[in-house]
Amino acid sequence: MVALARKTLVYEWRRYLPASLAVAFSGMLLLVQLALVFGIFDSAAVYINASRGQIWVGYPGTQSIDLGRSIPRDAQMRLLMNPQVAQVEPFQWVNGDWRGSRQLGSVSVFVSGIDPAPDGLVFARAIPPALRARLEEPGAIIVDRADLPKLGIQVGQSGILNGQRVYLVGTTSGLRALGGVNIVTSLATAEQLNVGGDPRPAYYVARLRDPARAAVVAAQLDPHDRQRRYAVWSASTLAARTIHYWLFETGAGLGVVFMSLVVFLVGTVITSQTLMGAVAGSISEYATLNALGASHGALSRVVMEQAGWVGVAGLLGGGVLSAMVLLLAHSQDVPVGITVAGVTACAVLVMGITLFSGMLAVRTLRNADPARLLR
Amino acid sequence: MVEHVAIRGRGIGKSFTVGKVSTRVIDELSVDVASGELTLLSGPSGCGKSTLLAILSGLERPDAGSVEALGEQVWLLDRKALQRFRLHHIGFVFQGFNLFPALNSVEQVELPLSYLGLGAEETRRRAWAALDEVGLAHRRHMRPAELSGGEKQRVAIARALAKRPQLLFADEPTSALDSVSGQTVIDILHRAARVHGTMVLCASHDPRLIAHADRVLRMEDGRVLADEHHPHPPMGAHTTS
Ligand SMILES: Nc1ncnc2c1ncn2[C@@H]1O[C@H](COP(=O)(O)OP(=O)(O)O)[C@@H](O)[C@H]1O
Ligand SMILES: [Mg+2]
Repeated sequence: MVALARKTLVYEWRRYLPASLAVAFSGMLLLVQLALVFGIFDSAAVYINASRGQIWVGYPGTQSIDLGRSIPRDAQMRLLMNPQVAQVEPFQWVNGDWRGSRQLGSVSVFVSGIDPAPDGLVFARAIPPALRARLEEPGAIIVDRADLPKLGIQVGQSGILNGQRVYLVGTTSGLRALGGVNIVTSLATAEQLNVGGDPRPAYYVARLRDPARAAVVAAQLDPHDRQRRYAVWSASTLAARTIHYWLFETGAGLGVVFMSLVVFLVGTVITSQTLMGAVAGSISEYATLNALGASHGALSRVVMEQAGWVGVAGLLGGGVLSAMVLLLAHSQDVPVGITVAGVTACAVLVMGITLFSGMLAVRTLRNADPARLLR
Repeated sequence: MVEHVAIRGRGIGKSFTVGKVSTRVIDELSVDVASGELTLLSGPSGCGKSTLLAILSGLERPDAGSVEALGEQVWLLDRKALQRFRLHHIGFVFQGFNLFPALNSVEQVELPLSYLGLGAEETRRRAWAALDEVGLAHRRHMRPAELSGGEKQRVAIARALAKRPQLLFADEPTSALDSVSGQTVIDILHRAARVHGTMVLCASHDPRLIAHADRVLRMEDGRVLADEHHPHPPMGAHTTS
């Protein structure tokens, strides 16, 4: 079998390049927008993902972690009574108002009060133990280094938070918040800053002896009655609830769908036009094959195979492009989130672009009428 | 001759309508074409040679009349059956060579063979033999861009011959070629008719080809005006390289 499709692609690669590029850019746009959206909404769940506990206890019905309300302290005792639970720690959430330099005005911030112990759970993945220990100093705060310009201070300087003076003892990365600035303090400092608020914590975080049993233990620990004053989730459930809430609360989910449609349309137009041009350019050769007895189905398979190879080349190119863009974004502290499901969805959509374009190009083959070769 | 008739056309009529004007291109034409000889359709441009060729070869449906090829009523076959009939029995050579730029000579010839479902071994063997027959064994691995016009047309002939068709149609096969290349091409077609017993029907307005044909049908305005047999036409000096 003569590999007509592949040989033509290699020999006339210039002709097919625009299609492959269109596919590559479509793939890149799809993946990057998805990574950005997930990256941004991942930061809504940063409190969960940057912590080490597998169990979160909070106010019943909480849709997103930033919407937490105080819960009774006896929840901690209930948790500790379960033999699966190895460690429990409160997490205080205080809304704050930051005043740095006069020019920047006030900035709305989220204060996270955490246990500064070296084996503390909350933000264990984002704050190294040595830095964490420095939160023991009264009024000490830690922020993400990308948020420094918003706060207008440097490490060692101070600012006013909820009317009280606090000191920046260090910065880290992976703490960025959605719609404000995350400020991490010790539980004691948070209590000082919580002027007139409910002194009870918004969440308790627990570490299990067997991390794999999170879902089962969460179900065991949840009080399950209508009058319950707290609810228990596994960390991944609460993170998923939070991301889901933000995707739909902000309309970003619809935006992703809309953008994907636009990319699909533009990619298909360019790819199909290129493939149609290639078919039109070889129309008398195809007509000759048809005269000699090759069926339209056989010729269509050649065109579809070309579309397939264009797609594969575009997919590889798009992969490289996406990797470059996402690495650049990551190096600039732009939050990006990539999941296997996301990459698979983009790859499927991109192959959809090429196969759909191939089907449009196959229609051009109708012009391969061998009678026209006789004039 | 009559016992070797490959194609019988009866009462063929064909008109083309452009805008509101309808032109009669083939007019009540009946013709028999025999196997084993080169029949030349000769006549001025626009007299209907190509149209007649297309009707006899199953590419263009006539308005009236019938075509019987190898005992089969061609225009009673459905589209699929007609395509299969062309695949198994008919070869074509066109004025434009219509070779795929990306393929070398062997691949050009192998390509239509692959639709016959022959094995890789047999396909290769036939392709090499066909290129040998047209004197292009040494050009096997060249692409069209590296071949002269005459060589390209010989590859196209090899592509048509490799199927071993009983019917070979050639429309103006020499019109894009210089006279020496044209002579080579018509000699190859002539020899194919003699050696394989193939019916070769060639349409051309070029009067120089008349001397190379076994039979000449002179056409004018959609009719055959004269039917001349050349019992022993001279075989031109055939060069194999
Ligand atoms: N598809 C078509 N539509 C309209 N007119 C056509 C078509 N094909 C051929 N003709 C006309 O039919 C006449 C005969 O054409 P053709 O058979 O190609 O002549 P020849 O091959 O002898 O030069 C010409 O006048 C040509 O313009
Ligand atoms: Mg003609």
